[in-house]
Amino acid sequence: MTDTPQDGLHVHIERLGSAHHALVSGLHLHVPPGEILTLMGPSGCGKSSVLAAIAGTLASVSEGLQPLQLQGSVQLNGRELAHLPTHQRGVGLVFQDALLFPHMTVAENLLFAVPVTSGSDTAQRQARVQQALQEAELSGMGNRDPSTLSGGQRARVALMRALLAEPQALLLDEPFSKLDAALRAQLRPWVFAHVRERRIPVVLVTHDEQDVADPQRVLHLRATEESQAHV
Amino acid sequence: MKLLGPLLLALIAAVPIGAALWAVGAQLLDAQAWHALWADPQTLRAWGMTMWTGLASTALVWFTLAHVLASGFIRQQLGRWLSRVPALLATPHAAMAIGLVLWLSPSGWALRLVSPGLTGFDAPPPWFTTQDPWGLGLILALWLKEVPFLLWVAATQMQREDLRRRWQAEYALAQTLGRTPAQAFAHIVWPQLAPRLRWPLLAVLAYGLTVVDMALIIGPATPPTLAVLAWQRLSDADLLTQSQGVVAAGWLTGTLLVACVVTGWLVGAAPSRRMLGHGKRLKLAAATRLPKAVFLSVWPSNGMWTTILTTYIAVWFALTVGSVSGVWPFPQVWPELWTLNAWQQVASSARTVWTTLGLGVASASVCLLWSVAWLELAPRRWQQAMQPWFLLPLVLPSVLWVVGLYSLALHTRLEGQWLGLSLAHAVMVLPYVLLALVPAYQAVDPRQAALVASLGHGRWVYLWRVKWPLLKRAIASAWAVGFAVSVAQYLPTLYVGAGRFATVTTEAVTLAAGAQRSLMSAYAALQMLLPIAAFALAGWLGRPRRFEKIAPMKATP
Repeated sequence: MTDTPQDGLHVHIERLGSAHHALVSGLHLHVPPGEILTLMGPSGCGKSSVLAAIAGTLASVSEGLQPLQLQGSVQLNGRELAHLPTHQRGVGLVFQDALLFPHMTVAENLLFAVPVTSGSDTAQRQARVQQALQEAELSGMGNRDPSTLSGGQRARVALMRALLAEPQALLLDEPFSKLDAALRAQLRPWVFAHVRERRIPVVLVTHDEQDVADPQRVLHLRATEESQAHV
Repeated sequence: MKLLGPLLLALIAAVPIGAALWAVGAQLLDAQAWHALWADPQTLRAWGMTMWTGLASTALVWFTLAHVLASGFIRQQLGRWLSRVPALLATPHAAMAIGLVLWLSPSGWALRLVSPGLTGFDAPPPWFTTQDPWGLGLILALWLKEVPFLLWVAATQMQREDLRRRWQAEYALAQTLGRTPAQAFAHIVWPQLAPRLRWPLLAVLAYGLTVVDMALIIGPATPPTLAVLAWQRLSDADLLTQSQGVVAAGWLTGTLLVACVVTGWLVGAAPSRRMLGHGKRLKLAAATRLPKAVFLSVWPSNGMWTTILTTYIAVWFALTVGSVSGVWPFPQVWPELWTLNAWQQVASSARTVWTTLGLGVASASVCLLWSVAWLELAPRRWQQAMQPWFLLPLVLPSVLWVVGLYSLALHTRLEGQWLGLSLAHAVMVLPYVLLALVPAYQAVDPRQAALVASLGHGRWVYLWRVKWPLLKRAIASAWAVGFAVSVAQYLPTLYVGAGRFATVTTEAVTLAAGAQRSLMSAYAALQMLLPIAAFALAGWLGRPRRFEKIAPMKATP
């Protein structure tokens, strides 16, 4: 490997929780580019909160009156993220519900993610959308209402949308849990292949052993316990 | 610094409400006025009339609601019935009262249909069938207006996916245990539903006890209800009489608060875990244990609902025919002469219509902007804490509010001015707009904001391209609700406007006391058509996107 130690995602959580209750403490993890770390644990152990801390969306997962707060650091390719707003972090998110915007067509959902850079015109952005549709095996379905897609199709669009935004790291929050067993088996290798192709660090949260992407890189999280992992 | 915006917003809305209350409070400490009020023999009788009409109409509404829900639920027609409710809700109170008058008055349609054949009348009899001294007309009008409102609130509960499934299952289970459908509804569904309707029921009670415009049209005159009496005193030229009106409004408010506490206790809270955990026997609140006959079908099951719908249609029809009627001697069933005179008169006093539209658009828009800003910026905790305060104008009698708003307008030299009047409307409109928006805002998935940010977009992109487009239906209908509330305002328009502004509502209520049947009907019809137009516009603006039609789906995974 030619990666320098700084490359990839370094997360160091001293304490993650509300004022009265620590959800996760003493967690270290490192994911090199192109690798997929699987984060496992029973529900309520704070898996999704760890993702929210990395993405900077703690405010939206802490429902109710007690906001969750992170003490620690999140570094991506040597850049400290902990104090940046989500939209400047370059961290992509995929949820178990595809969360396709219901008022946009499939293609518009994808176009929404394509960055507007100084050099790119609309035609180029559209071309990237078409290419993404092809990769998702959805050519010709760009004008469809997202609610008419099947569960597997929706999941593929959600992943392509996250990747089109050119994230430098990707977080998958139980991306397969709403699908039936056969569909999961089909979708897993497709998702893993696509994210590895991008050479970015990926964190996958699941409670299903079968979802594990890389047996070498699995971290079990238990409710409010010290956990150590340098993988 | 981040909290400066919400702090300002809270002040903008809370200060006028607080100042208005403060102004009334100061005027209530007037011993002389209280003495004068008690010395007046009308006062106690008016209070009795208020209690009778308010409590009787509320109790009737509650029984009717239980009956309609039971028969609709058992026959599984509730969904179909409830789809008609918005049309009934859009009918303003004043228009409903005027429509009933057209039917029930001595020269009204009801008697015309049977005269002289059955009655032998050649002239309208000297009966008190509309402003009857027993308040029956007012009770009928309130009942007709409030049943659809409570049904609509009940519908929002019963159509919630989680509750609907659970209640259907429990209802089915109770029947497998040998209960009849009516028993299953009465013992299983109703006791769970009723406590959830407590606050809306209190709103119905508050409205019944304090309504002015409807009571002026169809309520008893000697004595009138306490709210009307207070209003008459307030609009008197004599200062002492005015202060009597203020304390009468204060007393009405006290009565309202006591009645609300008692009713709230009767309906009871939902059985909590704590109660069950302590081993106490679960006692159902009194008002959830209704007589069996309410749930059993005394009538053919959908009779009650059909009656209500039919009455609404009859009222709309009477307003329409009334507005184009010319000479119409008793006891002829149809007018001798049809004419558009009344509508031409309405058109020639276009200023009234423009004032109505202007006030409605201005107050609804201001309240919508404020509510959206508040819901976007204020922390959840603040929203919960401030909500009761912002809802006060909805709860307290309008006859009390106008006193406070008027003194406020006097202090700021805004009385009788367009700005002052539109602000007064905005105070009354705000709680409705806020209530219409809050459920939609609470239903927004917080992950969507996280997702948009993770795609590299900032807050404004999220709001303009995702959140607000998704909320556009709720936003548009909240605006229409605000507009409808503004159009229906009677007291603030007259009082804060210092009588200088006429709207279709003030015209309709004023004309109801006179003999110009066609003009009164035309204004009442217009009072109904304007909100309906606003709701139609909102429906069009909030229509969901039409996607391209697709060929039958291929079976791809």
